Amino acid sequence: MPLTGTRATTDFEHGPLLQPGGDPWTLPGVQVLQVMYELEQAAMTSLLPPALHPTIPPTLVITAWRVPESPAGPFTLAEAKVGCRAGARPRALSVEAFCDSAEARGALAARWGYPVRDAEVEFARRYDRCWVTVRSGGRIVLDAHLVDPEAISGNDIQYLATLNTARVERDGATVARLVQVDPEYQFHSADRGMPELLAFDGEAWGLPGAEPYWPVSASFAVADVTMPELRYLVDPAKPPLAAVERLHA
Amino acid sequence: MKFGIFYEISVPRPWGPRTEYEVYQNCLEQVKLADELGFDQVWAVEHHFLEEYSHCSAPEVFLTACAMVTKNIRIGRGIVVCVPEFNSPVKAAEVAATMDIVSGGRLEFGTGRSATWTELGGMSADPDETKKTWDEWVRIIPRMWTEERFGYQGRAFSMPQRAVLPKPLQKPHPPMWVAVTSPGTELDAADRGMGSLGLTFGGFAEQEKKIAEYRRRIRYCDPVGSFVNEQVNTVNFLFCHEDNEYGAKTGQRLAGTFNYLAEQLLAARQAYPTRSYPNLGLLPALRREATSAPEGQIPEGLCIGNPDRIVEVIKKWESVGVDRINFLLNAIETVPQEEVLASLRLFAKEVMPKFAEKPAPRAPAAVGGD
Repeated sequence: MPLTGTRATTDFEHGPLLQPGGDPWTLPGVQVLQVMYELEQAAMTSLLPPALHPTIPPTLVITAWRVPESPAGPFTLAEAKVGCRAGARPRALSVEAFCDSAEARGALAARWGYPVRDAEVEFARRYDRCWVTVRSGGRIVLDAHLVDPEAISGNDIQYLATLNTARVERDGATVARLVQVDPEYQFHSADRGMPELLAFDGEAWGLPGAEPYWPVSASFAVADVTMPELRYLVDPAKPPLAAVERLHA
Repeated sequence: MKFGIFYEISVPRPWGPRTEYEVYQNCLEQVKLADELGFDQVWAVEHHFLEEYSHCSAPEVFLTACAMVTKNIRIGRGIVVCVPEFNSPVKAAEVAATMDIVSGGRLEFGTGRSATWTELGGMSADPDETKKTWDEWVRIIPRMWTEERFGYQGRAFSMPQRAVLPKPLQKPHPPMWVAVTSPGTELDAADRGMGSLGLTFGGFAEQEKKIAEYRRRIRYCDPVGSFVNEQVNTVNFLFCHEDNEYGAKTGQRLAGTFNYLAEQLLAARQAYPTRSYPNLGLLPALRREATSAPEGQIPEGLCIGNPDRIVEVIKKWESVGVDRINFLLNAIETVPQEEVLASLRLFAKEVMPKFAEKPAPRAPAAVGGD
């Protein structure tokens, strides 16, 4: 059977406490940059918990949102995720993420389990390229670009559902869980281009040993994003076929 | 209705020094038995880098070995990836002709373009180009087989005049097929006068619609080869056992394992935004439909269970217009070899005779041999 992660599940015990509920969020005109690279195989299983399979080949999925308008005000969010499979389902694991707004960080963490930390997140778009740069602790931990954009249909882009590292109240105890977040996108425009990764610090993203080395793709889109109601969790410690559980049993 | 067997050649971890050898030997033993039992065809895929799911990167070699241990079963190259980073069209034509000769005119020639980033990225192929190069190749390969000397100035391929040798034994050439995974590809097959080699399962209703449209469209085709190969070939799982419950349970384990392995791969669409791959291709969006069923029930279209149930299922496939069914017999050896062989024997004894006296397939133009 496929390889599974070997990472210590204690690494997933430090996420935010999930407190789902509240009014729905629809975010108009979100700019979404996604850059995908293949990862060196060597460290692959050490990045994932036993509940997840690595993809063949292993991938790093960088996603950045510039959100001009939200109930928490404008914000910019950056994620660096590991492409994986929860059983047979395509997913992307997020251990650490960065966001430039304290109010947005609070809402994203509590309602959808985003493991977000404070950082300066620069999202910029020019006619020849689009990029996201994240500065944390006085250093650049991510600098990812889409180069030479060409127009495509938003329907040609596929975003993987994210598994956010969080903690959840279960039977009176607080336990580590991966929270499935799968927003809906209504596209206004989309581009693709060459991916270019100028800086990536795996430690900062909770992915020690992750070595992105082979460019795959880059896309940029403008879309209305509807944040989902949460339904599924993954217990990182269980084997893949036994790990998925419902948020509300 | 004709029956065949279909190989991805999946190899279970852990990979010991002889694991692949043993899986290949098991496959060859199955092929030899299938030939003796009267199965009509054996197909083998061309896949690269698909860990566990398929270790069948050189199907021409495996199929030649099959031809050497059999007498009658037809040899299906399913499929040649018609993408220059994978294969040269000249080499593909030469290898196919040689296989046809050494098999005594038993080759079926499948074509396709790959559907995973695992493979396309691994070969540095451009996903935007694969449909175009496939379309170019399926037009020039039959000319290489039938023209004494072939020269060509094309878009993705050109060559000065040369004699492409050898020529196939079957005249004018072996039947040509298109691997159909993406919705709409069956119409590409019809428009070019090629057989539809279905590689996804799907339910009866979905397949019936597709087959009806294929039959309608092929009437107006512009054939790429020297004749029209109007045939619909589908893939299914087979596990036949006297005990229906055991047969169904084992068959579902086989189907579930196969699909689980397929899902671990990276579909082209999941990695690279392109209009060229509008869906997940070989990944089992459609297979899921065929293999999911309410708790305690057997998915409607699968050939698993006892012979009576399988006969009923095949009759339904026949009624929606399927000409041939190819069976996947195993996935990472999840079914012991002796049970696979017993399943083949029981199927041949109890199921095949029910379809032996049927009229010829609905494809009068399907004349592959000389």
